[in-house]
This record gives sequence, C-alpha cells and structure tokens, in this order.
Amino acid sequence: MSGLSLVNLTKFYGSVQTLKGIDLALDEGEFLVLLGPSGCGKSTILNIIAGLLEPTSGDIRIGGRSVLGVHPKDRDIAMVFQSYALYPNLTVARNIGFGLEMRGIPKTQRAAAVASVAETLQISALLDRRPAALSGGQRQRVAIGRALVRNPAVFLFDEPLSNLDAKLRMETRTEIKRLHQSLGKTMVYVTHDQIEAMTLATRIAVLNGGQLEQLGTPEEVYRRPASLFVANFIGSPGMNLLHGRIDAGKFVTTGGEASIFLPPGYTHLAQGRSVVLGIRPEEVALASSNDPSALVARVDVVELTGPEKLTLLRLGADQVMASLPPTAAVQAGQDLSITLDEAGVVLFDPATEMRIAPAR
Amino acid sequence: MTFPRASLGSWALMLPLLVVILAVVSWPLAYTVGLSFTDAGLVASSGNFVGAQNYLSAMSDRGVRAAFYNTAWFTLVSVSLELVLGVLVGLLLNQEFRGRTLLRAMMILPWALPTVVNAILWRLIYNPEYGALNSALLQLGIIDSYQSWLGRPDSAMMAMVVADVWKNFPIVGLICLAALQSVPRDTQAAAIVDGAGPLARFRFVIWPYLAGPLMIALVLRTIEAFKVFDIIWVMTRGGPANSTRTMSILVYQEAFSFQRAGSGASLALTVTLVIMVLAGAYVSIMRRSALRA
Ligand SMILES: Nc1ncnc2c1ncn2[C@@H]1O[C@H](COP(=O)(O)OP(=O)(O)OP(=O)(O)O)[C@@H](O)[C@H]1O
Ligand SMILES: [Mg+2]
Repeated sequence: MSGLSLVNLTKFYGSVQTLKGIDLALDEGEFLVLLGPSGCGKSTILNIIAGLLEPTSGDIRIGGRSVLGVHPKDRDIAMVFQSYALYPNLTVARNIGFGLEMRGIPKTQRAAAVASVAETLQISALLDRRPAALSGGQRQRVAIGRALVRNPAVFLFDEPLSNLDAKLRMETRTEIKRLHQSLGKTMVYVTHDQIEAMTLATRIAVLNGGQLEQLGTPEEVYRRPASLFVANFIGSPGMNLLHGRIDAGKFVTTGGEASIFLPPGYTHLAQGRSVVLGIRPEEVALASSNDPSALVARVDVVELTGPEKLTLLRLGADQVMASLPPTAAVQAGQDLSITLDEAGVVLFDPATEMRIAPAR
Repeated sequence: MTFPRASLGSWALMLPLLVVILAVVSWPLAYTVGLSFTDAGLVASSGNFVGAQNYLSAMSDRGVRAAFYNTAWFTLVSVSLELVLGVLVGLLLNQEFRGRTLLRAMMILPWALPTVVNAILWRLIYNPEYGALNSALLQLGIIDSYQSWLGRPDSAMMAMVVADVWKNFPIVGLICLAALQSVPRDTQAAAIVDGAGPLARFRFVIWPYLAGPLMIALVLRTIEAFKVFDIIWVMTRGGPANSTRTMSILVYQEAFSFQRAGSGASLALTVTLVIMVLAGAYVSIMRRSALRA
C-alpha cells in the first residue's frame, strides 16, 4: 500500500464547494490521468497533492504516510506546469538543478545529476541557454528535466502539453510514456485531451463538478462508462445515446422507430422500463442488404476526417453518429440501413443517469 | 518593420509641426545657449560675449558646488528611499488581505496632490510652534522640546527628503505592483515545490520581472529629483544658510534674484546636460528591455 491515495478530499472556496469528496487510491507506479471539463477541479486536486493548496477536509497519503500540513518541498513530489514555469534568468542547467540547489546538494553532484537528466531528454546542448532562447518544446523538456532530477516518489503534471503544437505534443506524449515505463514512478497527469488520457493512463479518473464520476482503466472508462456524463464526455465524438424503453427483451426507441437486440446480461430488465441505450460510433456499421436486425436512419451530415467517415444519422428523436469506413458511399439526405454491434451496447437509467450493470 | 522613405509630400505635411517644434523648443534652447556665453543681465542689456567664462567660474564657485552636492544628496537619498519603500509597498499590496483595494486607492493620494499643496502641508507638519511632527515626537519621548526642523541647516534637507519621499513612493509602489502582478503564478508555485524560501523566490522568480520596471522608475525618479524646485521653494526657498539650495533653486536665484541671466543660463544648461545623460540611460534601458521581450 504505497503509491498515492486521496481520502474524502473536499475543498471550499468561501461557500463554493470545488471538490465534493474525492476518494481514490493508486498503487505505486500507476499513471493516473485526471480528466474532466474545464473548472471541474483537476488543478485543484493536483495542487492539493503538491501541497500548494490545503484541502478543507480529507487526507492525502503518499507512500502510506499522510502529508497533510507537510511543506511541498518535503512531500517527495515534483510538478510540471502547463506554462513550463521556468526561472527566466537562470540557465537551463541551473533551472534543472534548482531543486537540488535549494536543498543544498553539492555542486559537483548537482552537475552530474543535471547532465544525466539532460542526456535522457536530449537537451545536453541547451544547458547554457536561458529559457527565452528555447522553443516551446525545449522549454517543456527542461520543465520535465527539473522534475526528473529530483527523483521524487510522485510526479504531478498539469496539462504539460497543451501549449505545444500537435506534432510536438505527440512526440512529448510518447516521451512521457517512455519515462513512466522506465522509471516506474507514480504519476498524476491532468489533461482535457482524450487521446492523451487514453494513451498514457493506467487509470483514468473522470471528474465532473468536483465529483469523481468514474475511476477505471482507459478500457473500462471507454467501454463501460459509469454514467451518462462519462459516456458523453469520453470519446470524440462521444457515445451515442438513444432514449427508449424495454419491450419484450429488446430496446425500443421512444417513438418506436427502431428496436434493438440487447446483450445477454440485460434480458432481466422489467418490461416497459425507461432506459438510455449507449453505443460507440465505431460500433455502428452499414447493414448488409438481408440483415433482419437492420435499422433505417436518415443521413444528416457526412464528414470525412481521413481515416473515417463520420456520419450523423437521425433515428427518431435521437441522433446517431456512425464512424464508417472512408470509402462508404453515403450522402446527406439518403436513407441508410445500419446495424449496431450488440456487444458494445451499454444501458443507463435515465433517472439516476448511472449505468445499469448487466446481470451475470 | 520598414517604412518607405518619406516623400516630399510627407515632408510638406510635417512642415507645420516642425516649424512649431522649432519655434517652441529649439529657438529658446539656442537662445539660452547663446545667453550662457554672455554676461547679460535680466533686463535691458544683451551683454557682451565672455566665452566659457560663466562655465569656468561656475566650476570653481563654492556656492555652485554646494548646490550640486545638495542636489545629488537629495536625489540619492530620496530616490533610494522611494525605491525601497515602493518595492515593500508593492509586495504588501500584492498580498491578499481585506481592504487591499481601499489601500491601493489610498496609495495614489499623495502622488495625486499638487506638489505645492504637498509642500504647504509638510510646512505645517514641520511647524516649530504647532507642527504635528513636534507634537508626535514629543509625545513619543524622542525629543524633549519643539524643534525648528526647517530652520536648522542640519535637518532642513532631510525634511525635504521626507516630504518628497512621502509624495513619490506611491508611484514607485504602483509600478512595482503592476510588475509583481505579471509574475506567473506557476513559476512561483514551481519555486515553492523546488524548496525555495522567500528570499530565493524573490531573487529568482520575482526579481526578473521587477528589475526592468524598477529601473525605469529609478531613472524617471532620478530625473525628477534632480530637477527639484517647487517643494523646496515653497518650504525654505533654499535656506537656511543655503542648506537646501539645489541646482534649480540656484538657477532661479542667479537669473532672477541676482538678475544675472548669462550665468543663470550656463547653470541651467549644466542641469539640462545632466538630465539628458539620465534620459539617455532611460532610453537605452527601454530599448534593451524591448529587445528582450
Ligand atoms: N482561488 C480561487 N477562488 C475561488 N474559486 C476558485 C479558485 N481557484 C479555483 N477556483 C474554482 O474552482 C473550480 C476548479 O478549478 P480548477 O482550477 O481546479 O479547474 P480545472 O479542472 O483545473 O480547470 P481547467 O481545465 O480549466 O484548468 C473552478 O470552478 C474555479 O473557478
Ligand atoms: Mg487546470
């Protein structure tokens, strides 16, 4: 039981509650991504872990030890910021070694540590420059170097890639993943980029309005979202949500336009119960001409993104986004026969907005 | 950025303005320069050409030297105090506390007062019979009888400095506050996580953002202080025993009290030269910080 755990963490700003009781526990070496819309409290959680903010109540444990009231420098954490947060008039070498310098590590030892980190991040040639003379990507490497050199128990990243352009972003993402694999340290990473979250995380915490909506592996969060919010928020575009009810073991849309077979776990649901059916766009496919389960939908908009043709369909009162192969012959206005892969179907309770667990 | 070379037409458009500038700036300046090489009086005679005589005798004149020393001392002490106080006040006002907005607004008051009003105010405070300073110091037990702060050569200049600092530290404070608000929060947080104490944070995080604006405040305040006239004129007219006579006061006395326009002009130009050097420093600092940004 080392790693990191947050116990019933709350935070008030005046009378406004920003965190509403966050509980989560990580094993050592996990990569947790905090994901959620702007203002949901991601940075607040990270700052509380770092010790830059005090929680209103609750506890933070690093390596099993409560760090409540412990100064940030003594928490065995290092943090990487979105704006890089480099010291403008210090050289790259001193920027990286600053934490060691402040801890009174002797100069030669410091220089060796800085050199080895610079080697890892391939910024050895930049050590004598000042931050103003670096590109954004180089600055972010220096910021990562500053965290690495301290060799902390927990790394904290607050949207470290969001100031980089798309290509650099991907490269640096891969770099961070490689670092995580080689260091095996616990990392907490804030982002609102889905792809970053899916690719980096061993576990994703989806936050909404200061509450933990779901904590799970990327796969779980994507395939079995715990709530309508997660279903909608994860994935771009998000999960299709169809409103309807249970009828004779099948799902029937509110207007009765379509009836859809349910996966085995859902056959126990009461006749007539209102449910919301979720299905990912890539689980919607063109039906072969003789498919008895085919549904007919009207094509609204077609967007070719490159690897896929995003097709927005109208099915009764609901919209369905289908991710079709780029070669699919579809046109706006046309009626299309589609099938849904029932293995990908998830049901939600429209009242509680939570997922209905299938019976085993 | 490059501009196409000014054409004849654009010169024609600028001509009226150039004439005005020539008339209101260049002509008086040229006239003063000419005057400084003569022994002209204030009225009537246009004087005789005396070469560099005015400058040479000014250099050996004890009164001029004393005035120069007074000016330098006033400038050095008051600007130093203004900068130190300004930085401290800037740091204070950058903290979060109740009443911060009110305090920020109040800060501007001394600076917004006309200098003459400020001088009259401080003359009342220093008054040897009913002044607030005497009363306060006596009640605190620091002095045992009322003093004539403006009447004694050893305290009069310090009294000027205090009055000037009171008026001008707010503007330095506000310049600092603006600079401090540009210090990124993330960098400050990073320094805390890195284990930097308050002093190291000031030096490595805050100072880089403060230095430029503070430099500008330094140069502007130095130029202002070097020209000081009204606050002193209203309070002491350069006395007692010339102990508060600064260069500007001296120029005024030379030209108008002693009616020696030629020699007054030479002194005025000397002050102008010093100020031009300071202004040059200001421009080069501005240019350097503009390049860095
Ligand atoms: N100092 C503060 N005083 C009052 N409210 C604050 C303060 N700091 C943050 N908040 C509020 O707390 C909430 C969470 O803020 P936080 O910075 O954690 O959001 P976030 O999830 O990191 O958002 P983003 O994705 O935009 O960075 C926001 O609604 C914000 O307005
Ligand atoms: Mg944030």
